[in-house]
Amino acid sequence: MLKVAIGHSSDPDSLEAVKEVIQQCQSTLADQTPQAGLLFAAIDFDHHLILQQINEAFPKIELIGGTTDGEISSVLEFQQDSLTLMLFCADDIEFRASIGRNVSQNPEAIARQAVETAKHRLTLPIQLCITVPESLTTSTVSILQGLKAALGTIPIFGGAAADQWQYKRTYQFFNTEVLSDAVPVLLVAGKLFFSYGVAGGWRPIGKRSLITKVNKNIIYEIDGKPALDFYHYYLNNSAPDAVYPLAVFPPGQEQFFLRGSVGHDLERGSITVSGDIPEHSVVQITDASIDDVVMASQTASTEAWAKYPGQAPDAAIFFSCAWRRHILGTRANEEYQAIAHSSKQVITGCGFYTYGEIAPLSDTGQTFFHNTTFVTLLIGSQ
Amino acid sequence: MSPKFELEIKQLNKEIRILKKKLERSEVDRARLEATNRSKEFLLKRVICDLQEYQSILEKKSSDLEQAFNELTKMKDKLVETEKMAALGSLVAGVAHEISTPVGTSVTLASTLMDETRSLMMTVKTGQLKRSTLNNYLDIAKESTNLILNNLNRAGELVQSFKQVAVDQSSLEQRTFSVKHYLEEVAISLSPQFRKDLHTVTIEGNDAIAIHSYPGALAQVVTNLMTNSLIHGYSQQAKGHLRFDVTKYNDQIVIQYRDDGCGIPTQILEKIFEPFFTTAREKGGSGLGLHITYNLVTQKLQGRIAVQSEVGKGTLFTIELPTSVT
Repeated sequence: MLKVAIGHSSDPDSLEAVKEVIQQCQSTLADQTPQAGLLFAAIDFDHHLILQQINEAFPKIELIGGTTDGEISSVLEFQQDSLTLMLFCADDIEFRASIGRNVSQNPEAIARQAVETAKHRLTLPIQLCITVPESLTTSTVSILQGLKAALGTIPIFGGAAADQWQYKRTYQFFNTEVLSDAVPVLLVAGKLFFSYGVAGGWRPIGKRSLITKVNKNIIYEIDGKPALDFYHYYLNNSAPDAVYPLAVFPPGQEQFFLRGSVGHDLERGSITVSGDIPEHSVVQITDASIDDVVMASQTASTEAWAKYPGQAPDAAIFFSCAWRRHILGTRANEEYQAIAHSSKQVITGCGFYTYGEIAPLSDTGQTFFHNTTFVTLLIGSQ
Repeated sequence: MSPKFELEIKQLNKEIRILKKKLERSEVDRARLEATNRSKEFLLKRVICDLQEYQSILEKKSSDLEQAFNELTKMKDKLVETEKMAALGSLVAGVAHEISTPVGTSVTLASTLMDETRSLMMTVKTGQLKRSTLNNYLDIAKESTNLILNNLNRAGELVQSFKQVAVDQSSLEQRTFSVKHYLEEVAISLSPQFRKDLHTVTIEGNDAIAIHSYPGALAQVVTNLMTNSLIHGYSQQAKGHLRFDVTKYNDQIVIQYRDDGCGIPTQILEKIFEPFFTTAREKGGSGLGLHITYNLVTQKLQGRIAVQSEVGKGTLFTIELPTSVT
């Protein structure tokens, strides 16, 4: 049987916050010892202190996590500058954490190795992988390719670590370590049921243009002109804004995915986006309203509940895009309310606002790096 | 201090910390939201301008397309008319060719007869006429006049057939006629266009099957189908068999026309009734023959036409017509 405990504190004091979170978890767990945990923390905390405290309370725990752009849980719903911890106990489910360090040096190989290391410590068949990788130092798509190479068709879920819109430095957590430029993974194996739903809400508007020069996730030219001109045209000469991601239609395809700007180079006129873009793709600027965003979150949640294979899930894990929170503004809690109302029952859950979501595509089952989406992952005992 | 107050102070401190953090965050968020709203407003204005620009481009394109479409329709009507005239022209050429043989033979025979008559008259004048000479002349005269009469009768028959077909092709009159008999007349009128030693035409069916319809339209349909077989179906020295079968089911007359030519490949079979579709543009094909055929059958003759074909075996057209058009 899977038992899940949640702690969530909005106290800005790191020590007070982690104590509160641990206390909440302990009261749910009673005397049970958790095997693994997910930690999502705002950027301003003293993360070393927090990890140390958790490790003291729950020695030998397999823990991964990362910094965020906002946290959600069934305890405090939507919060900023908070700390949320989810702990797992089960005798027929295995959890194994691992880490890939300095991932920008060779994203594919390092990510692959991280999975292989965790895999060797498993005895039961793998069901899924959860990850909270770096998003600023390297292409998350390349990291994902490495994970997929090691996992094959095993689905991967997660979100890229965030830093509250500063785009300076994100942190990843692995047991007691606080790292940057890393990819922590948590493999879950054994008697586990799960289901998921993914939805966006952004719509392409404006003219359709052709990517004429691109290298992985750096766009140099759109319609034969510097890529920055494209955003300058729409945003009154302002820098590209991730809130208006590009809808990318790969050559010959009618379906699009979204890629938001994470940086730009004024001299070269290039834009760095959150994931790789195929050459000769057609792009369009996009926009979303609050209602579109809330509605899509509800859709993702409803889809996950509808597909759940067991009686009822024990927990929900959410990965929502930081840009969604930005669109929602002061109404960010409406997103959590929407998913809470669309659930068949009140469910223990937590999640965070990411710089890019990881989940399989509904139609092909292939794990994909998304932007501006809401991912609901439901898990439970078999 | 009592533990109760201590707890209360602790709680208050926590709340103050949270509120301070929230205030900080709120200032940052407010500034960012304002910036987002400004950029959103600009973006939407830009998109509206884009849309207006596209609207005027689309309106212009739409009016250009409409104009081009009208011109194409006019051109198509003109081509259809030209095609009809060309069919009539080739009919006239056929008439001239077919009649020239019996008329030419008649002229030769008449001139032979005239020479023989002159020679006989000279002999009579000189008083040297012998019975054998007279008998010989009478034999020649009898044979010549016989042949002249036959040839002129043949020419007369041909003129009669051509006249009916030509009148039908150029008129829009309805009348009641025997389908099989009419197909025979049309086939005769087309015979100059193919070598009789290479191709045979068979028309099977009950003579009594009659139709009240537009014979001119039917003539043009048959002309187009046979001409198509002859142009596309056979190589230069290949022998062909073109066959019509006329049957009647309830109120429908079914004309099956088949050739044993090279057949039509599957990939182009569904296009053959489309206007301007031709595989013989270099030979002057307009791609309108079967399009006109289709329109004549489905509109003028109020029937249906279907095609089946197998490469290397031949092609079958099935035409279903009502016994009486409305």
